[in-house]
Amino acid sequence: MAAKSPVKEPPGTSAVNPTTPLAPPPVKPELPSSSEPDVVNVPSYSRWFSFDSISECEVKFLPEFFDSRSPSKNPRVYRYYRDSIVKHYRENPSRKITFTDVRRTLVGDVGSIRRVFDFLETWGLINYFASVKTLKWEDKETKSSAASAESSSALKETSKRLCNGCKTLCTIACFACDKYDLTLCARCYVRGNHRVGVSSSDFRRVEISEEARSDWTEKETLQLLEAIMHFGDDWRKVAQHVSGKSEKDCITHFIKLPFGQEFVCKESDSEDVDNKFFSINNPSDAVSESENVGATSPSKRMRLTPLADASNPIMAQAAFLSALAGVEIAEVAARAAVTTLSDVDDRASKGSLMRNTRQQEAEVASNGDATQNALARASVDASSLIEKEELDVEKAISGIVEVQMKEIQDKIIRFESLDLQMEEEWKQLEQVKNLLFVDQLSVLFHKSNARKNGDRTEENVKTDVS
Amino acid sequence: KFRMPTEDNLVPIRLDIETEGQRYKDAFTWNPSDPDSEVVVFAKRTVRDLKLPPQFITQIAQSIQTQLTEFRSYEGQDMYTAEKIVPIKLDLRVNHTLIKDHFLWDLNNYESDPEEFARTFCNDMGIEDPEVGPAVAFAIREQLYEIAIQSVASAREIKISKKGRRGAEHAISSKGGGNALDLMKLFRYNSSVVRKRKEWYVYEPIVDILSNEEVDALEAREDRNTR
Repeated sequence: MAAKSPVKEPPGTSAVNPTTPLAPPPVKPELPSSSEPDVVNVPSYSRWFSFDSISECEVKFLPEFFDSRSPSKNPRVYRYYRDSIVKHYRENPSRKITFTDVRRTLVGDVGSIRRVFDFLETWGLINYFASVKTLKWEDKETKSSAASAESSSALKETSKRLCNGCKTLCTIACFACDKYDLTLCARCYVRGNHRVGVSSSDFRRVEISEEARSDWTEKETLQLLEAIMHFGDDWRKVAQHVSGKSEKDCITHFIKLPFGQEFVCKESDSEDVDNKFFSINNPSDAVSESENVGATSPSKRMRLTPLADASNPIMAQAAFLSALAGVEIAEVAARAAVTTLSDVDDRASKGSLMRNTRQQEAEVASNGDATQNALARASVDASSLIEKEELDVEKAISGIVEVQMKEIQDKIIRFESLDLQMEEEWKQLEQVKNLLFVDQLSVLFHKSNARKNGDRTEENVKTDVS
Repeated sequence: KFRMPTEDNLVPIRLDIETEGQRYKDAFTWNPSDPDSEVVVFAKRTVRDLKLPPQFITQIAQSIQTQLTEFRSYEGQDMYTAEKIVPIKLDLRVNHTLIKDHFLWDLNNYESDPEEFARTFCNDMGIEDPEVGPAVAFAIREQLYEIAIQSVASAREIKISKKGRRGAEHAISSKGGGNALDLMKLFRYNSSVVRKRKEWYVYEPIVDILSNEEVDALEAREDRNTR
């Protein structure tokens, strides 16, 4: 028998004596989590607001503080009220502050405090937030943390709500009383099955349709896709078309639908895509035409925007149906269609493509793997299509290149002729310059001659005279 | 003429309403020059913010209205205005803060401001709870209001007594000095303005922060007292 030797604290070193006046500081109430503590939203019509100054707007709407009619109402007091209210709100922007909260903390008469509060609220400087739903939950959470333990645990679960009266799961709608943190299902509320002291007017009706909202039934998805095809980007109309879902829900669900992923990740693997498209093509009714049209040139574009190409609604329909149904199912359906298709012989006149593919199919068939027939045929057809397309592309590229070369050659020729012209003109210019030089020389010569003559004649005249 | 002996003529209003097992206690200052429509607006707002049952609206409005009319009934009457320095005692609990204080206030200083006093008090004593300031201001104002009412009553009495008796001045000094200090006595030339050391503890402010249990205990005691 082991001797028990429990460790006992000597009684002298017990906990802090609670009767001293220096008890721990008062417990601060829990702040509910806010999503963006550093960002405060202010509506654009309240841009004038600043802590450092009073704007005209404020003077206009609250003249009592600025007309010095009463000595206690002056701008300083106004700023004190306004700044403390706004600071109080901004400590926790996701929580709605009430006038009563605020007036208890402000020194002054409640009438003017109320007017300042109303002013700030109308101008969105306080209590300005987008979603009111989160507010409800947060309010409940803060109140439940302060409320008694009995009801707090039941209410912490905000996703599932149990009735406090009969302990059943609340569906559709329930009634919540914020004051005492009670939740009652509709039945209990009607019966009045709540605590004494709580009146039925305390209760607020809360809809519980969030669970239903998040489920998207097939029908709704179909409606959504139809609506998107018709209305494109007009989400409002889409939401209207889909019964029971809001715009945001539609958008989020559409993004989550598996379309984009399938096509984006298969872009690199063109064979697969062609395969898929071939399989998409086949289940449609206008078979051969779509094979020709759909498989070659627009296939690239359709690869990227399967739904946007409403010019071929059948294609689009087929695309989205296959997406709805899933890849495997579409493939299987396609294979089945291909086999039936190849059995139908009289469509062979539409293009050698079909004949080629048929021949290839025949070859493949003759090779004799019965189970892989459809798949092999499909892949062979796909590869022949690819080759053809590559040839086309090459031709196109070479054509383009030729044209560009020709252009460049023409340009060169033109430049050469220009050069020639330039040279000729240059020569002409030189000639003219030479002529000019000669003329100048002759002028000078004559001038000097003339001068000499003039002097001689002068001398002659002088000698004659003298 | 009657008015609150403070810079701003605000009325202290105290509410203590009990209906259907719910008790609503509150105290705040009201501006009597606000129109009466303000009363109902305020009542509705408070009930909405505190999520009280709607019966409270009428009761709150009524209570406020009564107190306001009472205040207004004093207006226009004469106040007895002699030199009066009255002691004001603070003994209040706001949430977790307990405040005890005792100081002198000059009634004739119509520019006195309890709000300013409260603000300075909270700043100096480092009080963090923002609800303490208004509560202190309210307590001061309430006491001043009481004293003002008394002075109106005493003024009336004096008028009556003046008509009758001669020794009115004697009556005045004894009446007025009921709880006021007689300055003459205090500031005689052989005494100083500085308070005696042994009296310091009386006039010192005490601010206590209570724990939750103490708060609960005090609350229970208060409830019992009021019932």
